[in-house]
Amino acid sequence: MTPRWLAVGATLPLLGFLLAFVVVPVSGIVASAFPAAGTLSGWATLFADPLNRDALGNSLVQGGLSAGASVLVGYPVGVFLGRYDWPGRRLLRSLLLLPFLLPSLLVVLGVADLLGPGGLLVGPFPGLGVFGHGLGGIVVVNVAFNAPMVALFTAVGAESASAPLEESLASLGASPGRVYREVWGPPSWWGALAGALLAFLFSALAFAAPLLLAGPAQYTLEDRIWSLDQILLNPHGAALLATLTLAFLAVPTAAYLAVLPRLAASGSRSAPRLGRRTASPIAVLLAGICAVFATAELLLVGAVLYRTVEPAGGRPWGAAWGLLLGPETTRALGLPISGAALNTLAFAAAAAAIALGLALGFVFARSLRPGRPGLLTALTLLPLLISPVMLAFALAEVWEPLLGGPREAWILIVVSQATLGLPFVVQSLSVPLEGLSAAPREAARTLGAGPWTAFTDVDLPRLGRGLTVAGLFAFAFGLGEFTATYFLVTPSFTTLTVAVYRLQGVRLPGVADAAAGLLLVVSAVAIVLSALGGTRVRF
Amino acid sequence: MSGSEPPPALDLRGLRVSYRNRPVLRGIDLTVGAGEFVVLMGPNGSGKSTLLRAVVGLEGTDAGAVRVFGQEVGRLPPHRRGVVLMGQEPGLFARRSVFANIAYAAGIRGAPEAEVRSQVGRLADRLGITHLLDRRPEEISGGERQRVALARALAARPRVLLLDEPFSALDVTIRADLMADFRSALASAGVAGLHVTHDRAEGLFLGDRVALLFDGRLESVGPPREVFDRPSSPRAARFLGYNVIRDGGRWRAVAPRNAGFAAGSPDGRRGQVVAAGSVGAVGRLVVQLESGERIEIETPRTAPLPAPGTWGSIRWSDAIDLPDPSAEGSP
Repeated sequence: MTPRWLAVGATLPLLGFLLAFVVVPVSGIVASAFPAAGTLSGWATLFADPLNRDALGNSLVQGGLSAGASVLVGYPVGVFLGRYDWPGRRLLRSLLLLPFLLPSLLVVLGVADLLGPGGLLVGPFPGLGVFGHGLGGIVVVNVAFNAPMVALFTAVGAESASAPLEESLASLGASPGRVYREVWGPPSWWGALAGALLAFLFSALAFAAPLLLAGPAQYTLEDRIWSLDQILLNPHGAALLATLTLAFLAVPTAAYLAVLPRLAASGSRSAPRLGRRTASPIAVLLAGICAVFATAELLLVGAVLYRTVEPAGGRPWGAAWGLLLGPETTRALGLPISGAALNTLAFAAAAAAIALGLALGFVFARSLRPGRPGLLTALTLLPLLISPVMLAFALAEVWEPLLGGPREAWILIVVSQATLGLPFVVQSLSVPLEGLSAAPREAARTLGAGPWTAFTDVDLPRLGRGLTVAGLFAFAFGLGEFTATYFLVTPSFTTLTVAVYRLQGVRLPGVADAAAGLLLVVSAVAIVLSALGGTRVRF
Repeated sequence: MSGSEPPPALDLRGLRVSYRNRPVLRGIDLTVGAGEFVVLMGPNGSGKSTLLRAVVGLEGTDAGAVRVFGQEVGRLPPHRRGVVLMGQEPGLFARRSVFANIAYAAGIRGAPEAEVRSQVGRLADRLGITHLLDRRPEEISGGERQRVALARALAARPRVLLLDEPFSALDVTIRADLMADFRSALASAGVAGLHVTHDRAEGLFLGDRVALLFDGRLESVGPPREVFDRPSSPRAARFLGYNVIRDGGRWRAVAPRNAGFAAGSPDGRRGQVVAAGSVGAVGRLVVQLESGERIEIETPRTAPLPAPGTWGSIRWSDAIDLPDPSAEGSP
């Protein structure tokens, strides 16, 4: 078999998966919306409802404000990370990945515990209460998630600047400001822009924060689609709004994909060349911003953990954990919390295995036919264009009847988690693969190794860390996924994230926090074990 | 130094640099006179590039002084030192023309446009790159890019120019041309230069004076002939291309052209040929002595070279006595 056909064969599972679980269901939703969308009356009906109009406006406002605030916070952190050499730099860089790995509900709960009504910081600083609910709270949650991403993109951009050019200009007499404007500033701006576009996308389609910290008046398009389908039982309206959301997403997604190649050649420098300047006033200012930001992120998680043990409702320290394991919680959820934990682990593990398997086929194909990323690479990013609610809605509409109804909801939960994690897994593997020299692979081939043997013996060991990160991403993504899961779940398949949300509405003091604490512990243990296991993987 | 004597272009006193408590430069004292061209040579990892980066301010120093024409610049940022560094990679703006790249340095000085144009023209003419002025760096060869980088460096009118192995990545066929042009351009501009290289032939050819750097310490500063003829230590001798032979408890440096091999002869130090070949009219042998040392021998190709595996004895003449390395703490 020629390398070309072998590559086609290796990517068929991925293509089939995307076709079956993304392209066909979403096309089905769009097609079902067209009879209404094709006429003015359909759109008129959609926009006659002020909540639908508000959802569009909310998405724009929340996305814009959150992206702007994320850049304000993330850009200086990224510059400090990418330009200066200081103890703990690598550690912070790793920690910035944590918000991606932590369940989104945990941060929402952290903001509520810290800044919401009765929040730990609101007592001593009442003015901070404005950031604990409503639009302020939503933006704080979005910034907590997205500022680290902006920081990482900024750092990558700043590091990609040409060190020889920068050093030459400095010695030729160019001031630091001029070197910033002409050498390393522009790539850092591209990095921040890429981060801001993603921050806009994620914030404009945020689901949990508006649901928990505000209400229908602050619902995004994502919340509104869910509300139309699940609460108001209006799947036709939901399909119409989902189609509008697809169009709404197209522009920032296209802009993000256009900006991304400008950062492609980055990451070659492991440490800033112009290091050792951490005593300058600017460096001290940047370090201060970094410290405040890191502290704020830790406080959010710390607040949730504190609430899990805090004495409340006349009960002693740690009583919430007892309640969580007790019959009241089981009655409220319809299954014991341990069952929810097992569901969570099983779904996340299955989703990670699927995503990793599909991604490995893709990178094997890339190793056979290296070169510029093409249509197939763009296709792997397709799930980024589809919001979790839209995906869940489409899967439920198209696949649920074929699978025999909600009894088989677990299949669609696993599929949705695998689909949403797929772009990150593929990127975690294909970006390092493109950075590898082809020489060892070619040497193995000339020594008699077949394509697959050369891939497993030569490329996979060199991708070791990428493989760990990819698996970790996929698994952690599944553990923390709430939006699509909540849309698809039935009581017997309740996961921990869904349990946290449901327990919010139950009169059991601290038990929702305890569930979130359990989710945090499960996530942390899983992440650490995966990381330890990943470092020992040998091929 | 007397009061009337002009200060050197570059004066380094007790310069020390370390990375994570590991000393890289261990107290460097070196001067470069006005208009002088000094070449710093040493093996890879000896600290040559670090020295240049410390002088220009791209590396912090632990101790010592950096003076440029008598002015202490050690605490100034790189752009205020008047010292220009030109590296192995030319560091040009990829998306600007050659003209714009050279003009950039003059522009930083705030020179009027007419002066910038005339200066760029003069420098391009001197370095033979006038026909490239409209092109972009990616459209010209590596050697041409280095010429552009030198023109840009000279356009900044530096007080001292530092060159960090600017020829090392270039094809050997264009290096000689480029070295000659560089040297004459610097001489006519009257700029003091400090050039580092690990290539001894390049260093001995270019330098008014040369200095050898080993393990962060300077050895043997002086005119090229003097440094070459009187190696100061076994490691300096090895770097300069001598064979270093332990001869009855003494360390001696023997130039390859002063060593000979007599096949089958039982007299002298016995050894076996491990490689033999010729470069033009010169035959080269590598002989392994019974004591384990390897000796390189150059011989006129008037007779057939012995085949590898041949046993015989080596002889030498004009050996130079070297200090015992155990006394200086390094072999």
